[in-house]
Amino acid sequence: MRKVICTNFDLCTGCAICQLICSEMRSGGTNPRLALLKIANQGLVHRPVVCAQCQNAFCLKVCPNEAIYRNKHNGAVIIDQEKCNGCGLCAEACPIDMILLDKQKNTARKCDLCGGEPLCVKYCPTGALELVVIPGGENNE
Amino acid sequence: MNSGYTGKFLYVNLSSGESRELTVPQWFKNAFVGGKGFGLKLLYDLVPPKCDPLGAENILMFMTGPLTGTLAPSMRACVVTKSPLTGTLLDSYFGGSFGHEIKYCGYDGLIITGKAAAPVYLWIDDGHLEIRPARNLWGKDTLETNHLIKENLKDDSIKVASIGPAGEKLVYFALVSCEYNRQAGRGGAGAVMGSKNLKAVALRGRQPVKVRHQKEFLAAVELAYHDLKNSPDIRNLMQTGTASSVPFANENGVLPRRNYFDGTFDNNLEISDFGQNRDMWLRNEACTGCPVHCSKVGYIRSGRYRGTVSDIVEYESAAMLGSNLEIGNTKAVIHLAHLCDLLGLDSMSTGGVIGFAMEAAEKKSLPEMKASGYEIKFGNIQAAEALIKAIAHREGTLGNLLADGVHRAAVKIGSPNEQIAVHIKGLETPAWGPRGAPGIALSLMTADRGGCHQRGMPLGEELGGLPWKGHTVDRLAVKGKAEIVIHHQNYLAALDTFVKCDFGTFGISPRTYVKLYRTCTGHDLEMEDEAWLQNLGAKIWNLGRLYNLREGLEPAQDTLPHRFRQPLPSGPCKGHRFTRNDIDSMREEYYYLRGWTKDGIPTEELLHALHLARGKTFSI
Repeated sequence: MRKVICTNFDLCTGCAICQLICSEMRSGGTNPRLALLKIANQGLVHRPVVCAQCQNAFCLKVCPNEAIYRNKHNGAVIIDQEKCNGCGLCAEACPIDMILLDKQKNTARKCDLCGGEPLCVKYCPTGALELVVIPGGENNE
Repeated sequence: MNSGYTGKFLYVNLSSGESRELTVPQWFKNAFVGGKGFGLKLLYDLVPPKCDPLGAENILMFMTGPLTGTLAPSMRACVVTKSPLTGTLLDSYFGGSFGHEIKYCGYDGLIITGKAAAPVYLWIDDGHLEIRPARNLWGKDTLETNHLIKENLKDDSIKVASIGPAGEKLVYFALVSCEYNRQAGRGGAGAVMGSKNLKAVALRGRQPVKVRHQKEFLAAVELAYHDLKNSPDIRNLMQTGTASSVPFANENGVLPRRNYFDGTFDNNLEISDFGQNRDMWLRNEACTGCPVHCSKVGYIRSGRYRGTVSDIVEYESAAMLGSNLEIGNTKAVIHLAHLCDLLGLDSMSTGGVIGFAMEAAEKKSLPEMKASGYEIKFGNIQAAEALIKAIAHREGTLGNLLADGVHRAAVKIGSPNEQIAVHIKGLETPAWGPRGAPGIALSLMTADRGGCHQRGMPLGEELGGLPWKGHTVDRLAVKGKAEIVIHHQNYLAALDTFVKCDFGTFGISPRTYVKLYRTCTGHDLEMEDEAWLQNLGAKIWNLGRLYNLREGLEPAQDTLPHRFRQPLPSGPCKGHRFTRNDIDSMREEYYYLRGWTKDGIPTEELLHALHLARGKTFSI
C-alpha cells in the first residue's frame, strides 16, 4: 500500500493554510517558506506542489549517508534526522524542489506524510489536496 | 518569549537614508495590541501636529497585529498615516499576503518617514534593508511594478506593495496595491507614498511566527474555522463575495444611483454576482490563511474588453462605478474597476468623484463638458474611462480638478456644486446611501476616517432583521441608534488591532477572537472577553478622536452631506431624508453616550478611565 497526496489546482485558492499548518508543526512557527510543500502561481491558477513520494526516489538514491529510507507501511520517503548531515545532495537531486535545507540545524527536511495522516490535507478548506491510497505494489528500491 | 509578535519595528528615514530596528515595548503591546492601535498611537506621538500630509514629516506605516501571519483565519494588516484627503487619521486595511510577509521578515510594522531625493523602492530581505533606485519603475502601473520587481530580484515569491501613476501624481485618493492586487484603498495612502518618492516595498522573510501556547492556539483556530463554517453570511461570501450585496442594497433602496440622487437601479443584477459570474469568474481566490475565499478570479472572454484578467468587483466598487454612474454593463464595470486598480486609484472615491462630475456637467457647471471628446453624462462608459485616466495622471483641467477629491473640486468650481459633493469630512462616502437607515447614517457621520463603511454600520440590525438586546430594531427610528453604532465601532476598532478582516467578523464570535488573542500572546486579561474588547475599542476610538481634534477636526463635520437631506425620489425609501433636527439629535445622543462634551470632545474623566490621560509616549 502507498499513500500519496493528490493536488487539484482547479480547487486551490492560494490561501496557503496547508503551508501554515505544515510550518507550524514541522518548523515550530508559521511561514509558508518553511513549509514542506509549495504553491506555484501559474497564469490564472495556483498549483500546489507536494512531494510525490517517488517510487524511484532520486533523493533516496543519492544520499551518501543512507539517511533516506522508505516507510514500509505507507511508502513515504523519509529522512532520518539522526543520520542526515545536511550535505544537500538530496535537495540538488530532487527534480521538483521538495527538500528544504535547515541551515541552523544543518539537516535536510522533507514531507513524511505526517506519519500517514498529512495535516495539509486535513486543513485544506477546498479539497485541493487529497490523500490517495494506492493498494498493493512492491517498492522499487 | 513567543507571543505572535516579532517585537521589532523597522524605521526608515528616506531623507537621510537612515534605518534601524526599534524595540516594541511590552507596555505598548499590552495597551495598544497592534494594527490600528499601534498605528494611531504612533501617529499621535510621532507625527508633528498640523503637518502637511504630503510633506516629508508625515509618517507612512504598514502595521500588523499579533495574529497576522499566524494560522488565525481572516487576518490582515493596515496602512496608517495622515490622510491628504481629510487631513485627519487614516487607517486603510488590506488582505492578500503582504501583511503576513512583514512578520516573516521579523517586523511587527514598518515606519517610513522623510522623502527620498529620487524615486526609490525598499527591498527588505529578512532583516536586511536596501533602498534601491526606482527610476525604471516610475510611471508603471501597480501590477507591472509588482512583476518588474520580482523579475529584477529573480524571485516570484517576493511580496510587493506598490503605487501606480496616481500615487506618483499625488492624487488625493491614490491607493497602495498590496500583494496581490489587494488594496489599501481609501483616504490617499498612495499619495503619501508617492510624496515620499517611494514607488514600492518588496519583502522576503524566512522567519517563523511563533505563538505562546501552540496546542491551545490550534484549538482556538479550529473553533474559528467552526464559527466560519456555521455562518450563513460566510457561506454566502464563499459563493458570491460581496457582489451579491448589490441586489440586497437595491431592495433596501440604499444603492446609489446618479451620484446618490436615487437609491435603486434597474440593471442592478448585471453589476452583481449574477453578471460577474456569467461574464468573468472562473475560480475562488483567498488571502493568506483565510478559508473564506471571498474573491473570484477570471477573465473577460469576448467583446471590447476581451482578455481582461481581474478579481471580483466587490460591492463598493460595483456600486460606485456601476449604479452610481448609471452604468449597467457588467464587462464595462469590471474594466473600469480594473483600470482603477492598475492606475492606483481608490475605485470608491473615483466613482464618487466621477458621479459628481457627471451631475455637475448635467447642471452645466463643470469647466469642461467633455473628456477626451466624450460627453460627460451618466451612463457614458467612455467618458468615465477618459476621466479615470485623466485623474490618475492629473491631466488637463478636469484631471487636476477631480484628483483633489470631490470636496475640494466642489469648493473650487463654487456654489451650488457643494450641494452635490457627496463626502463626509472630505472622504467620498461609501455605496450605502443612508436615507431610510438612520443608524447607517450615524455611523457614516461619526466614522473616524471620514465617510467610511467599515466603522460600525448596523446593517444587520437595521436592514437584516437582527435583534439588538433581544428586540427588533425600528429601522426608521432616529433615536436609539447611537448605542448600537458605538458598540459596533468599539468592537471593530478592537478587532482592528489584531488585525481582523471585516468579513471574518460575520462568522467568528467575540469569544473566539479573544481566545485566539490570549493563546497567541499569552496576555492575561483582567476583564471578561466582551467587556475587554469594548474597553480596548473605546480607547482606540477616543485616541483617534483626540488626534483628529488636534489636527483641526470641527464637531460640525460630524454631519451628512446635503444630498442626504433631500428626499429620495423613488424606491422603497421614497421620500426619506434627514432633517437638520435628525442629524443634530443623533449627534447629540452619540456624543452623550460616548462620554464626550456637547462639542464632541472626550472628557478628562473618560480619558482617565481609558488610561489615555498622561499616558506613556513612544519616541524614536
